[in-house]
Amino acid sequence: MFGRRTLLLTILALMLALVPLSLTATAQNPDCEGDVTLTYWHHWGGNRIPLQEHQVAAFEDAHPGICVDNIFLPWDNRLQNLLAAIAAGNPPDVTMFGRQDLPFFAATESIIPLDDYMAADGVDPAIFHPSEFAGTQFNGKTWLLPLPGGGAYNIVWYNTDHFAEAGIESFPETWDEMLEAAETLRLGDGEFLERIGLNAQSTSGAGAFLTWLNANGGDWITPDLRTITINTEAAAQALEFMQAMAEINYGIEEVNAFWEMAGEFDQGPLIQGLVSMEINGSWTLFQVEAHAENLNYDVAPIPYGPNGSADRRGSAHGGWGYMVPKNAAHPDEAWKLVKWLTTEVEGDGACWFIQQQQRPSPLVECNGYEKDGLVHPRAEALLGVAGLDYLVPVSPVQPEASQVINRMVEDVLFGDSTIEDALASAEAEIQGLLDAFWEEYG
Amino acid sequence: MATAFGSQFSALRGRRRERWSDLSPMRKREAKFGFLFIGPWIIGVLLFALFPFVASFVLSFTKYNIVAPPEWVGAEHYEHIVTDDPLFLKSLKNTAVYVGGSVAIRIVLGFALALLLNTKVRFLGLWRTLFYVPSVVPIVALSIVWLYVLNARAGLLNWFLGFFGISRIRWFADPDFAMLAFLIMSTTWVGVTMVIFLAGLQGIPEEYYDAAKIDGANMAQRLWRVTIPLMTPTIYLNVLINIIGAFQVFTQVFIMTGGAPRDATRTYVLHLFDHAFQYLPPQMGYSSALAWILFMIIFAFTAVIVASSQRWVFYQGGEE
Repeated sequence: MFGRRTLLLTILALMLALVPLSLTATAQNPDCEGDVTLTYWHHWGGNRIPLQEHQVAAFEDAHPGICVDNIFLPWDNRLQNLLAAIAAGNPPDVTMFGRQDLPFFAATESIIPLDDYMAADGVDPAIFHPSEFAGTQFNGKTWLLPLPGGGAYNIVWYNTDHFAEAGIESFPETWDEMLEAAETLRLGDGEFLERIGLNAQSTSGAGAFLTWLNANGGDWITPDLRTITINTEAAAQALEFMQAMAEINYGIEEVNAFWEMAGEFDQGPLIQGLVSMEINGSWTLFQVEAHAENLNYDVAPIPYGPNGSADRRGSAHGGWGYMVPKNAAHPDEAWKLVKWLTTEVEGDGACWFIQQQQRPSPLVECNGYEKDGLVHPRAEALLGVAGLDYLVPVSPVQPEASQVINRMVEDVLFGDSTIEDALASAEAEIQGLLDAFWEEYG
Repeated sequence: MATAFGSQFSALRGRRRERWSDLSPMRKREAKFGFLFIGPWIIGVLLFALFPFVASFVLSFTKYNIVAPPEWVGAEHYEHIVTDDPLFLKSLKNTAVYVGGSVAIRIVLGFALALLLNTKVRFLGLWRTLFYVPSVVPIVALSIVWLYVLNARAGLLNWFLGFFGISRIRWFADPDFAMLAFLIMSTTWVGVTMVIFLAGLQGIPEEYYDAAKIDGANMAQRLWRVTIPLMTPTIYLNVLINIIGAFQVFTQVFIMTGGAPRDATRTYVLHLFDHAFQYLPPQMGYSSALAWILFMIIFAFTAVIVASSQRWVFYQGGEE
């Protein structure tokens, strides 16, 4: 039916259609030769990208015959990307994975349990800090291995120059002291903020409300992850504290408008001098040293509330790990990469990667603050703060539950609801989500 | 424009259907090339439009978490959406505000710009290009630019409003202004509407204006009595295109506010997206049901506009 010219045109059209495929970016090492190429997804952006490339190259050197397609993906769309890949039957061999996302993936067995691999290679769970390894478990199986540390999220980083100028000699220990300090440090004319003492809505890890609830001695969910417990006096006090802090900063709208200027890395509010105190994770050290060498700062544990105590401050909530999805093309080789990324202490793997960033490692044997044989001078202070962390469990419906909690906080801060009504309503809504999950997957 | 389409369809209708064996070798060769070039498009439509369209309808009656097979639940999702989803009505209301506002802005502003750029001004090509260019800038880049323009503290718009004594507006932090910010941003795409209006305006014969002038009509009367009636087919087309597009607003909201503050910018498609890709377990069936409700709403709007067009759309030389 088709002549030679038609055939040639068809081939040309097909070749043109294939051009975009050939232009797809790949991070594969061109010098690596191997029978197996692993697809590896991670979310280490900014100045961690070269560290990832080095770590992966070291793995390839140590494992001849295995090459790695090292792909950086944005954190925001991680679930969308992963679910789409699993649904299409073409998941990565190894992916970085939020521990907060574990219950659903484990309950549906969309990822591979690692216990048999660990037993075969003699990877003892005791090489990890117990609290870190606990976050990898669901229904008695190990589904991922942890890295980086799941705690040290709620360190208060503060600008010591601001404190000296304001005449504040010691860092606040309690919420009342914190409110007083924040008001002294805030700069503005009553309507327009020039500088914030502390933005209580901005914390990392568990989210603002759960962070303050934890620092006030409150638990939001029972250890069996089946019952929500936020309609309590401790929770009401946490919301009152957030409300008071917002009022100090001229109200929630001005705080949010001010925070539009805050970015990440070199645009971070602490680095830009927009805040006097910032609650952020241990990774801030790496960013401050990279972008604000001359910043005079110190670290302190998050202050505790009227119902809290001095030995329960920050929240350990979720964290990261590495796992192998079901239907991964090369599960055995993928396990080798997971092992390198999470347990390697000698070569440039798990321990080296964390040490380069100077942050806590989940590995007992690895001091994350030791780099090139020297221990960072801030190590003791940072680990001291992290030692006051308390586990804030991740629920199986965390993304939607977090959205309900955020809405509850906004209801109160915008004055659309009383604290009592907001707590009761949010507790009922999240409990409904949890009940539905356990009914289906329990 | 609509007249041209009409005449083409009439010509096609009147054409005798030819059999393959009756075609000359040259026509056969032309037909083969036709099929060859249209083939990828047809395959694309079948695979990436028709199949997902049908699949999403079926999925809307199932519980589907992506990693396990769908489980039939009947009309459960539809019932839950209308009786027990507080964000359904909220997001629908937000979307309705955006549709009403942005369509009005684009039609009125697009028409006004087209009238201006249909006159003999200097650098006409430059002005047309300037107004059209923002429409082809990627929406992610546009969103970042607008975040700066609408920044509450150092934004260009607040600085400009300051000259008129208007105090600082916290665009994305104040629930009362956040959606207005997106309406202002929607002016970015006015160039597309403007170009279609321009094409319509250039199709109006000069003789009508000459006749109106002889009859003593002033500029406003010519606009009201000649231009607007003859532009109704183009207005009709632009209203339809813009309404359908505005109902599906998503990307800029997702990038710039994520629905905040107080869910004031939570649009319908953002709500749908959250259920599909942000929550765990993923709720693909529920999302599909939300999508089908949106489809039915858009379909109803389109049907009403199409039905009403017989009363207000006038075609040159036609009986309508």
